[in-house]
Amino acid sequence: MRFRLSDRQVGVLFMLPLILAVGIFLVWPIAEAVRLSFVRYNPLRPDDQPFVGLDNYLFVLEDPLFWESFWQAIVWTGWSTVLQAVIGVGLALLLHQPLKGMNAFRGLLLFPYIVPTVVIALNWRWLFNSEIGIVNHLLLSVGLIDEKIAWLSTPSMAMASAIMLNVWKYTPFVVIVVLARLQTIPTELYDAAKVDGAGVLRRFRDITLPQLAEVLAVVIVFRTIWTFNKFEEIYLLTRGGPGTSTYNLALYAFDQSIANLRMGVGAAAGVIMLVLLLAGSMLYIRVSGFGREDKAA
Amino acid sequence: MTLRLTRRGALASGLAAAGGTLAAPAYAQTRERVARIWGEPGPYIGVFTNGMNEWAQRNAPGLRFESEQIAWDAVYTKLATDLAARRPPALISVESPIAYQLAAEGLLEPMQDVNTAIRARERLVDGFTVDDFGTWKGTQYAVPLHHQGCLFVVQDDVRQEAGLSDPTNWTWNDLLNGAKAIQAKRQGSAGFTMALGRNLCGDYHIQQLIWQAGGMTWDPGRSFETTFNSPATIEAYEFIKELYGTMPRSAVEFSFLQVVDQHVTGRTGSSFYWGRTMGRAFDEAKPIYEKMEYYLNPAHPRTGQRWSWTDINGFIMPRQNNPFIREAKEAMAHVMNSTDWMVRYANSLFPNVGPVFKDQATAPALVNNPMYQQKKRSVDVIFTGFVPYACNSGHEIKKGINPLAGIGHGRNVWSQVAQRILVNNENPRAAVEWGHRQFEDIRRENRRLLG
Repeated sequence: MRFRLSDRQVGVLFMLPLILAVGIFLVWPIAEAVRLSFVRYNPLRPDDQPFVGLDNYLFVLEDPLFWESFWQAIVWTGWSTVLQAVIGVGLALLLHQPLKGMNAFRGLLLFPYIVPTVVIALNWRWLFNSEIGIVNHLLLSVGLIDEKIAWLSTPSMAMASAIMLNVWKYTPFVVIVVLARLQTIPTELYDAAKVDGAGVLRRFRDITLPQLAEVLAVVIVFRTIWTFNKFEEIYLLTRGGPGTSTYNLALYAFDQSIANLRMGVGAAAGVIMLVLLLAGSMLYIRVSGFGREDKAA
Repeated sequence: MTLRLTRRGALASGLAAAGGTLAAPAYAQTRERVARIWGEPGPYIGVFTNGMNEWAQRNAPGLRFESEQIAWDAVYTKLATDLAARRPPALISVESPIAYQLAAEGLLEPMQDVNTAIRARERLVDGFTVDDFGTWKGTQYAVPLHHQGCLFVVQDDVRQEAGLSDPTNWTWNDLLNGAKAIQAKRQGSAGFTMALGRNLCGDYHIQQLIWQAGGMTWDPGRSFETTFNSPATIEAYEFIKELYGTMPRSAVEFSFLQVVDQHVTGRTGSSFYWGRTMGRAFDEAKPIYEKMEYYLNPAHPRTGQRWSWTDINGFIMPRQNNPFIREAKEAMAHVMNSTDWMVRYANSLFPNVGPVFKDQATAPALVNNPMYQQKKRSVDVIFTGFVPYACNSGHEIKKGINPLAGIGHGRNVWSQVAQRILVNNENPRAAVEWGHRQFEDIRRENRRLLG
């Protein structure tokens, strides 16, 4: 007997790798995190996991460090995302100009995005080392400062340095996406506006920005989620210090899980982050009106 | 000929390729048995592993020992994930506080047989006992490997330039005044440097000052009561606050590497550190090396104590899911019974890796090391002079073994207290009370370890 599959069965089989991948790498870890958030789990004793109800959530919500980390995460995410969006759009507009050698600049711009975070963070630690770092050396040499700046040793400067690193590394992502959209805006729109006497700012406000609105909405949602969850940059640059001044929620969850051996508490913090981001993203998409035009059409 | 790919063919090929890819690592692992050995960053664990492979080649064909270097503030991450995956390393070179904790957790294989095979008790250098390395409730869970004491490193030319006396008998007052004098004499240079970052190095440097003042975190003599908020602890933090004025402002982010960098680049007149500062200077900064001297830590004026945070480092072995117990024990005994291998081990990062066995400490190949020849007084302080003051968080002021210390190891509470004082301008008493609550939480959550 010859075994034959129907078109529908073949279709399901072709989808199977994706379903498996999403199940294994997305659904299962989230489900496991939710499960862990209801048990007490010391990773050194993986076989002993008593159910503790909402204790882990109560622990997190009553911990002053969680709330400190939460507000710092808002500052870190807010400034990083706003600066990336503003600088990213500015750079994309510059790179959209038909100048000679522009392609080389576009290629170079990707550099920070390509280099692994660990390399960048360790390099920045050296650059911003207040004793032997080149940043202080250069600023002192040209007379811009009189004494060394403690870039990573005071709470405000450490947060500013961490934000600077994040902006430097991820602005190219915004540039690429915005530039791609800019290149698809019909030039006739600008020509017509010029004929009607619209200046540069007016053309930017009434043509470019509305055309970029949807892509910016997507970029800002992604950058907000990725930055809010960001762990390795802060961990490698400041480890949350000095004090706990650059702690964010990702670092809080890591420290609870690994340093404090409270995997359940770390998982609870992770689930709270998931809920916060989900709610924030939905609110932002609703407010920004993303996709409304398509629905109307 | 045209090649036609049917849907069925595409599916079959895709599934076969995916299956092959998934099976490849498992197949590769069956080709050779690999036992992983964890050690600190540095060449020494590699040297020891080479010695174990010498045994494997003769006695266990197909077995290979492989070293993995893990920083000790990352050990929990690795250990937790590997234990959860039921794939622990065969052997771990570890500081004794973590050994005590893991032993109390019931996670370790007893090591009496290895210690007997290498005659550890008879060969051990004076001042240490086998129990110091990781014994819990009468069972030895660790095999002595090396020791490293944190000491007072001074640039003697800078000291003399500032008109300061021989630091051999210095007290805390001399340290503070000396650091101030150096700072005043050498503009742009720190008088003293220690780690005050929220990291393991900060914890170590701070703890030895607490002990010198007579403070402790937990007292094994009083049912491991949390005793962190004692006047002695507050005094130590007040001293650190005063001393911070002589340090680089960025000392609040310093860890191991930054303290050594600061010293070997000539940016400080003195510092707290282990033997590595001398080794780095020997390799990279000869003028600094030539004027560098090691001393016992300055004594507390009242207690006279000079306690040193000491890595009392031994080999421990995970008990569960470890298929290499017998072979790793035999290979370890092979290396440790060889004075030649143990000298190679100590010489691989001289003088950072203190010899634990008498035959190793007196072997010509170690004594003839160029640094030993040139800096005999300092190296003697590093290898033997500090031993009466050697203790660590797992054996505070030598008042009893404490398994809670291993848990404290990963949390950086000691350095967080310093940061609250130095960065947030919190009152030392209030900051110490905050730290006390953290340590009390650790005690409450892990009472089961105390038995």
